[in-house]
Amino acid sequence: MEDQPDKIMLEIKNISKSFPGVQALTDVSLSVMKGEIHGIVGKNGAGKSTLMAVLMGIQQPDSGSIMVGKGTFSSMTPHEALEAGVAYVPQRISMMGSLTVAENILAGEMPTNRLGFVNWREVFREAENRLTKLGLKLDVHSRVEGLSIVEQTMLVIAKALFSHAKLIILDEPTAALPRADIDRLFNFVRNLKTQGVAFIYISHHLEEVFEICDRVTVMRNGTVVATDDVRNLTTPLLIGLMVGEELQGFQRITPPHAEASQPVLEVKDLVRRGRYENIDFMIGKGEVVGLAGLVGSGAASLGMSLFGLERRGPGSVTINGIPFTASNPEQSFSQGLAYLPQDRYQYGLVGIRPVRENVTYPILYRLAMAFGMVNVEKEKKVVEEYIEQLGIVTPSMEQLVSLLSGGNQQKVVFAKLAATQPAVLILHEPTQGIDVQAKLDIYRIVLDLSQQGVAIMIISSEVRELLGICDRILVMYEGKIIHEFRSGEPETTPENILLAIEGGAYVEK
Amino acid sequence: MWRSKIGPFILDHLIWFVVLLVYIFFIFLIPNYLTPSNMINILLHASVLGILTIGQAICLMSGNFDLSAEGTLSLLTVLAAWLMLPYREAKLAQAGGIGWELHPLVVIPIMVLLGMAIGYINGALITRLNINNFITTLAMQLILRGAALVISMGFIMPGTPALFNWLGGGRIATIPISVVFTIVLFAIFSYILKNTTFGRRLYAVGGNREAARASGFNPKKQITIAYMLSGFLAGLAGWVLLGRLEVSVPNLGQGFTLETVAAAVIGGVALSGGTGTIWGAFAGVLLLSIIDHGLNLMQVDPFFINAVRGAIILIALLIEAQKVRFRRGMGKKPGGAAPVQAPGKLSGD
Repeated sequence: MEDQPDKIMLEIKNISKSFPGVQALTDVSLSVMKGEIHGIVGKNGAGKSTLMAVLMGIQQPDSGSIMVGKGTFSSMTPHEALEAGVAYVPQRISMMGSLTVAENILAGEMPTNRLGFVNWREVFREAENRLTKLGLKLDVHSRVEGLSIVEQTMLVIAKALFSHAKLIILDEPTAALPRADIDRLFNFVRNLKTQGVAFIYISHHLEEVFEICDRVTVMRNGTVVATDDVRNLTTPLLIGLMVGEELQGFQRITPPHAEASQPVLEVKDLVRRGRYENIDFMIGKGEVVGLAGLVGSGAASLGMSLFGLERRGPGSVTINGIPFTASNPEQSFSQGLAYLPQDRYQYGLVGIRPVRENVTYPILYRLAMAFGMVNVEKEKKVVEEYIEQLGIVTPSMEQLVSLLSGGNQQKVVFAKLAATQPAVLILHEPTQGIDVQAKLDIYRIVLDLSQQGVAIMIISSEVRELLGICDRILVMYEGKIIHEFRSGEPETTPENILLAIEGGAYVEK
Repeated sequence: MWRSKIGPFILDHLIWFVVLLVYIFFIFLIPNYLTPSNMINILLHASVLGILTIGQAICLMSGNFDLSAEGTLSLLTVLAAWLMLPYREAKLAQAGGIGWELHPLVVIPIMVLLGMAIGYINGALITRLNINNFITTLAMQLILRGAALVISMGFIMPGTPALFNWLGGGRIATIPISVVFTIVLFAIFSYILKNTTFGRRLYAVGGNREAARASGFNPKKQITIAYMLSGFLAGLAGWVLLGRLEVSVPNLGQGFTLETVAAAVIGGVALSGGTGTIWGAFAGVLLLSIIDHGLNLMQVDPFFINAVRGAIILIALLIEAQKVRFRRGMGKKPGGAAPVQAPGKLSGD
């Protein structure tokens, strides 16, 4: 593709952005042509989200320039970004679900008659017209909440185009879609591409990047490491670029643990249709096992359903040889299984209650005296012990949890789980959204617990984190455990694990 | 010192300073205001409202409204009179009971148990069928009021027995028993919410229902218990009120619902659930009672009373809203508390 100036849709030059303590973007340059689908790939924390926030005008860069269409900006407001024609299609779409397709399309510009009443026949005709122009077949009379996810995604794209968007950012648009719908979406996007619309396509699914994109930009640690035509790239090459040299001579944070002797958690033939199937694995005493997989691979669902936040299908689960029959969190705790949810704000903590109460929620029944009174003296001792042991920084145990920093909040969740003295601990993305120091603290806490004999499972998409802390890493893809990587063996490299996560390419080889 | 001790203390008890301020205001405004009988009258005014407010506060702490309590009170008072009074021909808008003449010691447990049963139905509808709590309890209020009218046929039923009236109308020396009873109830429920596992679970469920579930609690059960307690208290409030009036009036209790919500919220119980104390709610009840009583003594035009009450409720809520900001300022790291806003939250369309 020739770099003719009039064909350039977006040109970002030398953008840098720092947050307190973090350099999020360093000297990022990127260009997108008219009619191009430009993929952006990178691990979590590579700077993709920050770059998109800059493009949407949500974050203002410290330096650099952005040229969109005809305008050039040193920073944009969200309004300027929209005016310039940048539209963002999020992973989770929010539209006015109870209104019809036509109403969503024409919201704010409904045709009316002289008395100010909506001219409905005109509304539906106009909406139909507009969709036909884009080659999109949707029933304009149906309600948006009745559409499938892919139809809603296409409708959002269409709506953006009706408000004169020229560059559309698709953020993981296929995460929740079956294959047939992905084809439908891709055909729609390709069709728009021929009409000159430019796309930025963000995805963890590298296969799809190869399928749909013209060029790919790889980001790592807030910088652009490469931009190239997809025809010049291969999956291993891309993964190599994403992971970078930083992991070539990667040092384990911990020495591998002793070979697990005594099985604690044993799962056999666990099935839940549509989520996971044939799940067979074992975690030994003091062992740390990673479970890696993309969104929709079934890893998250497996963790939730073991704990009882979701239904669990048929199959056998035992803890220390005793059948594990819990179907809700209360029973799970009492049968020795604790779970750290991914979203600590939604599932982990009651923000407007003090640290003291949050820590003892799962063990409240053990602190009860006559007439259900709480033994507060005993409670304070327990909480004090865990604040000390986990290094929770708080002015006092009466501080409201919502006033703590992210890392300390996560430690409160850990304290709460550790207080139940579980045999099995399942952690879902335990270091998400916390700073580096707190991450190291969390790793130390995990290892301490494993040394106390707790069998630990970590569900995470951070391969580096898993490599640093796990004895074994199980990889899930499309609901099945497809491979097991053992720590210390030559095949256990970040590249191989990422390949397996991406869809079994490594395993099939 | 200011940041660590005095500041939070004042914030936590701000409502009591407001109560005191308003009280002092009336002392200066009304001659001979500071008499025991005035104080007792305020407390008397606060008793039925107070008992209902405890129930409302408990439901609000669980994250739910209870708009049905005034309906429960209405039905239970009518029912109690109907069961206790001798039969008599309806005449001049007055009537008697069904003629069973049940003993008060039988009727009082019936009132309380029936109140709890109504609470259980509320809780079951809301938690098991997932119907909105506001609408469910509003509908329940209408049904209960309707039932009260059907039973009484719209007649008043005068002459409840003395044994029954003892709680609502009796006095020890000059102190009304109902006032003592109300304060004891506040003390008991304050203790329960503060010191028992039930209280803990209730606050947790109200603060974050999903997190409470993931912590091993059963939110449906806690919410149902909250409604049952509210129904129980509505039964007691009905006993007090009917005992004081000695006559059942079919539309008794009308307008209490919004006052209980206002009193609880003024006292620091958040509508979103999870915070607030029973003593705070008591302060809210006192504030409303002092204002009503004071405006009455001043012989303010009744047309103005509602407007003044509304204004005072608004001011109290404004102060409450500001408290959050002050508290943040006193917290260690206010910035670190907020979840990181993901770019995806702002969609481009």
